[in-house]
Amino acid sequence: MVDAASNKPARAAAEFAPVRQTAAAPSAASPYRLATGGIVDRSAPLLFSFDGRNYGGLRGDTLASALLANGVRLVGRSFKYHRPRGILAAGSEEPNALVELREGARREPNTRATVAELYEGLAAVSQNRWPSLWFDCMAVNSLFSPIIGAGFYYKTFMWPASFWEKLYEPMIRRAAGLGRAAGMPDPDTYEKAFAHCDVLVIGSGPAGLMAALAAGRAGARVILCDEDFEFGGRLLAECRDIDGRPCAQWAGSLLAELASLPEVRMLKRTTVFGAYDHGVYAAIERVADHLATPSPHMPRQRVWNIVAKRTVLAAGAIERPLVFGNNDRPGVMLGGAVRAYLNRFAVKPGTRAVVFANNDDAVATLLDLAAAGISVQACVDPRGADAGVVRAAAQRIGTRFVNGAVVRARGGHRLRAVDVSAVAEPWHKLTFPCDLLAMSGGWSPSVHLSSHLGGRPQWSDALAAFVPGPLPRGMSVAGAAAGEFGLAACLAGGAKAGAEAAGDCGFAAKPVAMPGIGPEPIGIAALWRVRAKRGKAFVDFQNDVTVSDIELAEREGFRAVEHLKRYTTLGMATDQGKTANVNGLAIMAELTEKTIPATGATRFRPPYTPVAIGALAGHHRRKDFKPTRLTPGHAWAQEQGAVFMETGLWLRAQYFPQPGDNSWLDACNREVTATRNAVGVCDVSTLGKIDLQGTDAGLFLDRLYANAMSSLPVGRARYGLMLREDGFVLDDGTVSRLAEDHFFVTTTTANAARVMQHMDFCHQVLWPDLDVQFVSVSDQWAQYSLAGPKAREVLQKLVDGQHDISNTAFPYMAAGEVTVGGGVPARLFRISFSGELAYEISVPARFGDAVIRAVVAAGAPLGIRPYGLEALSVMRIEKGHVGGAEINGQTTARDLGLERMVSSKKDFIGRVMAGRPALLAPDRPAFVGFKSVGDGAIGAGAHFLPVGAEPSARNDEGHVTSVAYSPTLGHLVGLGLLKGGSKRLGEKMRAYDPLRGRDTLIEVCSPVFYDPEGARLRA
Amino acid sequence: MPDQALRQRAPLEALARPGRFGATSAAAGVMLSEIRDRGLASVAARKNQRAALLAAAKSAFGCGLPTRPRRAFGRDGLSFVWAGPDQWVAMLDHGPVGGIEPRLAASLKGLASVVDQSDGRAVVRIGGARARAALAKGMPIDLHERAFTPGDAALTFFSHINVHIWQVDETPTYEIAVPRSFVGSFWHWLTEASAEFGYEATGSNSSA
Amino acid sequence: MRIPCPYCGERGNAEYAYLGDAGVSRPQTPLGAALEGATLDAWMNYVYLRDNPAGAHRELWYHASGCRAWLIVTRNVSTHEILNVEAANGAIRDGRVGAL
Repeated sequence: MVDAASNKPARAAAEFAPVRQTAAAPSAASPYRLATGGIVDRSAPLLFSFDGRNYGGLRGDTLASALLANGVRLVGRSFKYHRPRGILAAGSEEPNALVELREGARREPNTRATVAELYEGLAAVSQNRWPSLWFDCMAVNSLFSPIIGAGFYYKTFMWPASFWEKLYEPMIRRAAGLGRAAGMPDPDTYEKAFAHCDVLVIGSGPAGLMAALAAGRAGARVILCDEDFEFGGRLLAECRDIDGRPCAQWAGSLLAELASLPEVRMLKRTTVFGAYDHGVYAAIERVADHLATPSPHMPRQRVWNIVAKRTVLAAGAIERPLVFGNNDRPGVMLGGAVRAYLNRFAVKPGTRAVVFANNDDAVATLLDLAAAGISVQACVDPRGADAGVVRAAAQRIGTRFVNGAVVRARGGHRLRAVDVSAVAEPWHKLTFPCDLLAMSGGWSPSVHLSSHLGGRPQWSDALAAFVPGPLPRGMSVAGAAAGEFGLAACLAGGAKAGAEAAGDCGFAAKPVAMPGIGPEPIGIAALWRVRAKRGKAFVDFQNDVTVSDIELAEREGFRAVEHLKRYTTLGMATDQGKTANVNGLAIMAELTEKTIPATGATRFRPPYTPVAIGALAGHHRRKDFKPTRLTPGHAWAQEQGAVFMETGLWLRAQYFPQPGDNSWLDACNREVTATRNAVGVCDVSTLGKIDLQGTDAGLFLDRLYANAMSSLPVGRARYGLMLREDGFVLDDGTVSRLAEDHFFVTTTTANAARVMQHMDFCHQVLWPDLDVQFVSVSDQWAQYSLAGPKAREVLQKLVDGQHDISNTAFPYMAAGEVTVGGGVPARLFRISFSGELAYEISVPARFGDAVIRAVVAAGAPLGIRPYGLEALSVMRIEKGHVGGAEINGQTTARDLGLERMVSSKKDFIGRVMAGRPALLAPDRPAFVGFKSVGDGAIGAGAHFLPVGAEPSARNDEGHVTSVAYSPTLGHLVGLGLLKGGSKRLGEKMRAYDPLRGRDTLIEVCSPVFYDPEGARLRA
Repeated sequence: MPDQALRQRAPLEALARPGRFGATSAAAGVMLSEIRDRGLASVAARKNQRAALLAAAKSAFGCGLPTRPRRAFGRDGLSFVWAGPDQWVAMLDHGPVGGIEPRLAASLKGLASVVDQSDGRAVVRIGGARARAALAKGMPIDLHERAFTPGDAALTFFSHINVHIWQVDETPTYEIAVPRSFVGSFWHWLTEASAEFGYEATGSNSSA
Repeated sequence: MRIPCPYCGERGNAEYAYLGDAGVSRPQTPLGAALEGATLDAWMNYVYLRDNPAGAHRELWYHASGCRAWLIVTRNVSTHEILNVEAANGAIRDGRVGAL
């Protein structure tokens, strides 16, 4: 092809300098605003800024329409080549016009200017340019484009590997990227909400409105969602008459009726972004995105979880760009977007236009441009005889019709002209000066939500588009989303789908009268790329994927649609290829000489448009990430200055610091010493507590625990060990028998919910014939442990006088009901975790606060101290009791030295599998104690190594599970799991801890460091 | 013996400050209060005693135990809410401490296991024109008047906390039983959810 | 996903906890029996081996945030279609699942 216009037009010098696009003083009288029309509020001017300059817009504008109204065409730089980019679309499919919106902590990158609703004071800046949008140094990337095509990073930055993190990645990130995140905590709140309905209607264009109306009139509960801030969809953007009225007006009357129906909920600014199984949909409502800051008590955004019996997908269609040289120049715009800017926003997107389309949609574009007073230089259509209606429309407005194609756009920061090759004279290049090219490659139904559950869209040759394939159960598709492209078809399809959906939910819908609509041509002949192109021909604008990249992928064998995507990045990033996928697929089909359906179909996953992670989190962040459980004694502990730690959902006192303490260890030592020498009190309300009753309760517990429980006498407590069915230990706790058919069971704090679920399983699935009922009473009882030689003395002051709690009447492991404080019911258990004379006392939670205060008051003369988890842990290590570090899911009763507890006289969970040979192997790591004989520190997790052995996995003989400084003994005491266990008492080993750089000599000993005879707890 | 009688504390005593909170542009859309004088007990049928239990309850308390998620009212301020298969929560208005368990146990001995839960649950009452909208921010079930009516009950969750809810009247007013240790987080989330509509908290509410 | 609880009605999957294959039965082994041969196979099968068919599958689900019932849910794991739900204890009592 001869390039007849090889003499490049001289570039105006001004093109490289910031052009004063509008007066410095902001004005609502923007130069490109039409005097009348549109649905913007001319009485509500708004001031906003872009790249630091102030502009005026109107309420009802998007940032994009307001920029266009001020003549701003260049709004961003492209991802890879830093090409100047303008506004392509008028909706959420926009790939180019991405900006950073807002400032400071609220700054959000990659906001599409085409959906950002204008508000007073809106501040936006362009992204991916340095130092400025007009002069971007990184635009040199474009010169290197022959070598930075698809796969460039993969091929180039391979070696040396160490350069990737330090050099290549930071360099690439700087050169190719999108906007900057705020980097500060988000000051706004986000929330989640659930909604239920009979019929969910997604999209409020002609089909969606009719569907909602049909279902709503029938009485069904309807939710109508639209991502826009106005309902109406294309009815707002087109200049059509319905029933003799402008279509936007007609939509207004329908909306008024919908608003009057009590069971119709209308959610605007709400994008349904995901379809899930069984009629569940996720939607994001931008509650306050159109405000500078949310009003008090208003969330910024809300994520809806919608449960719908039926769904009508009426999400419309997305227009495809045409692929020709330099088709990304600012001023090249989708035809439907041009009409939206003219008709909805009353903005002229240019002054001299060319229309280039392969379908009859050009008719409306031609007529609307002419009506707005924009001179149309030419109408270019690759179709011959089939383009009759377009040719006629061009004639009507006095525009030259060219049967051919635009081969190249000219201009840099803005479109200056287009080169056209006519079919009749392919050797002769026509050049039409223009600053706006309205293009249309046809419309792609928004099938996204129809494919979220795996349904593959199907190709329609007649429509040159994918239409929804197999639909999720309960979903129907109406209007343009279903490939019904005419207005009349949309209205009828929507009404039918709405009525059927309501009918399926039991609401008989009367037929909705169809309004009068004029005829409308919808012919199309596919044109996937202009072959005679010059200059880069972009397929995916957002990712800078060109026809050449697809050709390269084809040559290198990345032909499958999924490979094409990964290799070229076609269809990735924030727009997920809304305008690009079909063109890219079709070009690959041409290159491989296959049909489009044989080449593949893109299936989509949620989200339809980007959703902020913060919105998905809702209120559940930071301290509110999960609920917090507090004991009845929490306020008291707070008053004592307790330092709390999280254990599961609970907050528990870790230690009680006092003035002069150097560290937590001082507090811990003081608490241990006070307990060992006098008396201490610890809040153990967090233990899981379960009440069991029934004639088979004892039998049930026998099967649940490794040791026998049915033999437990009334009024006694017993330590219990629960195994999993695979033979490993699940949990431990105490079982007390309150009556023949009544038990009270405690579990560890961490495992309470798990044990409850396990018990439900055993009862319902394994042994449903047992007469046993159980319920959690964890929250009913506040429980305190009183430990120390003076514990009984304190308790005697609290327990009402008629109860004898002497050692004879209430010996070690006794359990019973008493009253305290003059008749308050309580339960008393003589159990000890600390190794001291100890009791646990339970009172109804409403008395929990009063009882801890009474205990401390009664114990004050005896030197009582509250103790926290640190002291509790030190004392159990001194005593050699296993805790969470030892019951770690990998230890058996035998490993923990508890094999004598395991009954051989009954069946129980885990009995058989605990007898597997591997679990009986003599060299399994088993429970031991150790003392430090070196002078280094030792931490849990250190490995036991033979002295002198190479530190290696082969020589590893076990590990340290728990270690503490014992103020009672004056040295470190430790517990661990060591191969051979108690057979190795007296051996010296290394506690080797490469993570912390420690290596200390230890001596293996019995795990019971303190009072091995148990005399103190029986005192 | 301590000199003073042990003081009782209601679960929300320190949290539920009375007053008007949240948005103030219109009348409060949500009313919140805590019911502090109600006795609660878990009731579970013993094996093979279901029919006998239903009959005994009918004659002793004047109401059948609901066999689906509903609440039934008996004599003298007693009511029963379904709480799972063959399980109920019995409630006694103005119940004295420890009063509910013996009252039930006497009539249901051998037929049901009865466990006092008066201290194990906080009972929060939520009502008002926007009560449904506030609850929808944390509760996944459908409370629309076509789906959930006075007397209906459900076991579900609110913002990750397992709760038991039943509807009291068509205002709508609901009561929600929350495990006591969770009530701080529950109240925090409920008031955050209600703030948009404006809410009025009263410290306590009589149970009847 | 929504699962109809036979007691509570249809609820979202957030209320449920999943266990898996409901088709395994806890072997009955006399006290003192040697853990070998068929006995060992039966226990290994019960504790570790689970069927994972593409299509309809009977699974144990627990209504953790609801009525605490263990349910046997027959679900097509390819399409997530729920084909049947029943209470585990009822199914076991009626002999439709041999758990013990």
